[in-house]
Amino acid sequence: MRYEIRVDGHMSETLTEAFPELEHVIMSGQTVLFGPVIDEAHLYGLLNRCQSLGLRVVELRQLPE
Amino acid sequence: MDLDPRGEPFLRTRFALPARPATFLLRPRLAAHLDQALSTRLTLVDGCAGAGKTLLVADWAARLGQPVAWFTAESGDQGCGMFWAHVLQALRSAGVPLSPAVGCPGDPRSVDRRLLARLAGELNGRERPVLLVLDEFDRVASARITEQLEFVLHHAGQGLHLILVARTEPLLPLHRYRAAGIMTEIRDAELAFTADETAALLELHGLRLPTEAVRALVERTRGWAAGLRLCALAAQQSPDPEAYLKDFEAGRSTIADFLLAEVLKRQPARSQDLLLRVSVVERFCPGLAAELTGRGGAEPLLAALHGQNAFVEDLGHSWYRLHPLFREILRAHLRIRSPGLEPELHRCAARWLHASGCLPEALAHGAAAGDWDFTARALVDDLAIGRLFTGLRASDLAGLFAPMGPEATGPAADLVRSARDLAERDVERGLFHLRRAEDRLAAQPPPAAVRLSCLLLESLAARLSGAPGMAERAVAAAGEPLGKVSAELLEKHPELTALMLTHLGAARLWAGRFDDARAALSQVTACPSGVLTAPPREDSLGQLALIDYLDGRLCRAERTALAALGETEKYGVGGRRSAGAELGRLVLAAVAVDRGELGRAQALLDEAAASGAPGDPVTAAGRSLVTARLLLARGDPRAAAAAAEPALPAVVASPWARTQAALAGSAARLAEGRPDSAAQVLGAVTCAEEPACAAELAWARLAAGNREAAIELLDHMRTGTRCGPRATVRAALVRARAAQEAGDVAEARRLLARALVEARRERLRSPFLEAGPGIGHLLRTPFLQGLAADWLSPDSRRGGPPSTAADPSPPVVEELSGRERDVVAGLADMMTTEEIAADLYVSVNTVKTHLKSIYRKLGVNGRAEAVRRARDHGLLRSREHGLP
Repeated sequence: MRYEIRVDGHMSETLTEAFPELEHVIMSGQTVLFGPVIDEAHLYGLLNRCQSLGLRVVELRQLPE
Repeated sequence: MDLDPRGEPFLRTRFALPARPATFLLRPRLAAHLDQALSTRLTLVDGCAGAGKTLLVADWAARLGQPVAWFTAESGDQGCGMFWAHVLQALRSAGVPLSPAVGCPGDPRSVDRRLLARLAGELNGRERPVLLVLDEFDRVASARITEQLEFVLHHAGQGLHLILVARTEPLLPLHRYRAAGIMTEIRDAELAFTADETAALLELHGLRLPTEAVRALVERTRGWAAGLRLCALAAQQSPDPEAYLKDFEAGRSTIADFLLAEVLKRQPARSQDLLLRVSVVERFCPGLAAELTGRGGAEPLLAALHGQNAFVEDLGHSWYRLHPLFREILRAHLRIRSPGLEPELHRCAARWLHASGCLPEALAHGAAAGDWDFTARALVDDLAIGRLFTGLRASDLAGLFAPMGPEATGPAADLVRSARDLAERDVERGLFHLRRAEDRLAAQPPPAAVRLSCLLLESLAARLSGAPGMAERAVAAAGEPLGKVSAELLEKHPELTALMLTHLGAARLWAGRFDDARAALSQVTACPSGVLTAPPREDSLGQLALIDYLDGRLCRAERTALAALGETEKYGVGGRRSAGAELGRLVLAAVAVDRGELGRAQALLDEAAASGAPGDPVTAAGRSLVTARLLLARGDPRAAAAAAEPALPAVVASPWARTQAALAGSAARLAEGRPDSAAQVLGAVTCAEEPACAAELAWARLAAGNREAAIELLDHMRTGTRCGPRATVRAALVRARAAQEAGDVAEARRLLARALVEARRERLRSPFLEAGPGIGHLLRTPFLQGLAADWLSPDSRRGGPPSTAADPSPPVVEELSGRERDVVAGLADMMTTEEIAADLYVSVNTVKTHLKSIYRKLGVNGRAEAVRRARDHGLLRSREHGLP
């Protein structure tokens, strides 16, 4: 499974390091984190991480393989 | 001192209202909305990280002028037992008088539903409702805990007003609460700062901005409290605050991340370093902060940071914590700035916490650092190895040590491995690790605590492998090191000696030395009951019950077995691996067989079997004994003979287990009509020592056709304190039948009368039921019929009122809880399980759980029977009376 998580605002380099398993790209006022997600537990873990770092998730979607 | 289910003291800081910083802004609209919490059962303060939830509720509660029970959940608190123990402690800390009968969970992972029912019942009876705040509830909000919370909330009625503070919506059926109008909700939108509030907040930070600038700031942060707070801090420290905020508004970075970096970089280097390093711990005091930074003088720094409202929150008693949101971001910064430092910091924290006596935290940080030798040593040196079996229970610590690999080579690591293996009943591996640890310790005499740990494991291994000599040697060797460890340490670990004595008692029981076993086990049951000693006490009571039963004292065995199960209930312990509860049920089943209550015996046996393979030889022998007797009574001798075979290998054969197996085997062969084969089975058995055995054996010999041998056995039977009613009844029956066969009917009747009088007190029916047609015929003489009336004679039982007709009605073992009565009432109304669940507001599974325990308590196997029994005992009532 591959997912992308769109977060409101530009994340700093430091903060993107909190998601070492994902790549990121910054575009038009948003940060897109994307990459392979092992399973649902991982997915919810990522969302939890976003929440505990105060990130506002604006979109979450599965990417075609 | 109050201990949590891990056997550790509760942390006071978790039950205290968090202090509000000087810059806290009171927002009357929110306080007014929160006031509704006083009239609604459930209040939900639900918002994103840093929305200002905790401070809002803490400030409101502090102004309320009435006690509020407060509990801050932590992610380390996994398990319902831990959760409820903390809730109870929070209530007690707030001065809510709870009777000791409510009890306390003893197992961090589970809680007894009856405990929750008792808690709800007490709360429901209160005149003034209790206000309970659960902060950071999302950290513990498993489906199970939430379901239990709903149960308590529902049954506490108006006695409990619950306030949940969480980042995520709990799994409660909120729509139902909303529809019923019994819920107050405060969510993100309402928590957001308005423009006026923002202006006021900035003013508290010494900043005055034009209305337009404030509006823009609110728009950029969407009124997010943490964002505004960081903004104010960053602006405060900048030479031109207004220009700074303008720049920030124009930026597009994520807010907390960007602002935190801004605020952090403006702190002096020492403060930055301190903030980054303490981010690895949940909470800290100046001493721990000094340890983590490697230099002293942390106190004024912390006070200053708290004063500025910069990240640091004051928990009171000189303890602080980082705001959870900022802590996460600071940890991300720490990893970037000093890669590889994190494990080092965990190691530092572990050492400091260990030295200060905070063992669970020390173990958690030691594990996080991957420093297994240290972590295992901390556990062993603290004499806490027994916590792998009680309090913390195997699962929790095993979970902590699960990632430990072969790289840990210290003796302590091997002791932990051994304890883990033995807890899993893997004696071979357990002994391998124990011996390896001892080899590694051989170089120099180990400290007393280490030796005691070895000996505890040794005694357990001895018990599991049925090696009484080894257990005796281990416990005898413990005397010397016990004298060397500090009294304080021993007092902290009452489970150590209790466990050792329990294992010794079990090994002696296996060896058939009942008096010696009783002496060791009574020491355990005499020690004060507590969370840590509950499992060994329960275990010991189970074994004492078995001894009573083997002595042939049914009533006493029943009482002791019920006490073992009661210990389970009191502390909510008794997971799947609870030896005492299993033995207790087996003894109750055996008693039921002797009383001819076969349905009940089967139910109890099934329950005991549900705990998986028997853990030690005593339990295994007990289980085959009961199974074989039940199958015999049911008329299935072939299966009985197979069940009588001993199940677990043991180093030393147990005399009573062997005799019991032979007795069951011989009875089975007799029932199959093979008296020669039966006599052969008995041939090898000798047991002149134990009267209970001797009487049974005499009966079997007589039944196998050897009257002389039977009488001779009885003539040599010791009669004394050891001689329980079953032995005397059996002996009298043997002599009666022998007399009858010899043609002396008067003597036979006299002996039968004595047996009946003796048996009546214990309701011991099976010897008469098994006695054969000859004795049955004698029993029908009028004089003896009078003695058998009411309890033995089938005629008199059949003549009673219809409700008590069919089976000998066993007593209700335990009282039904209020909830269980509700379920029975549902059954009486012919409702389905689903309908009862809907009616009582609980899940179908909960109803099924209630049903199981109702069947067990009433000793029945089905719905119709349960309703009948409940009606007989006057347990059915109208459900209109309301909740318990």
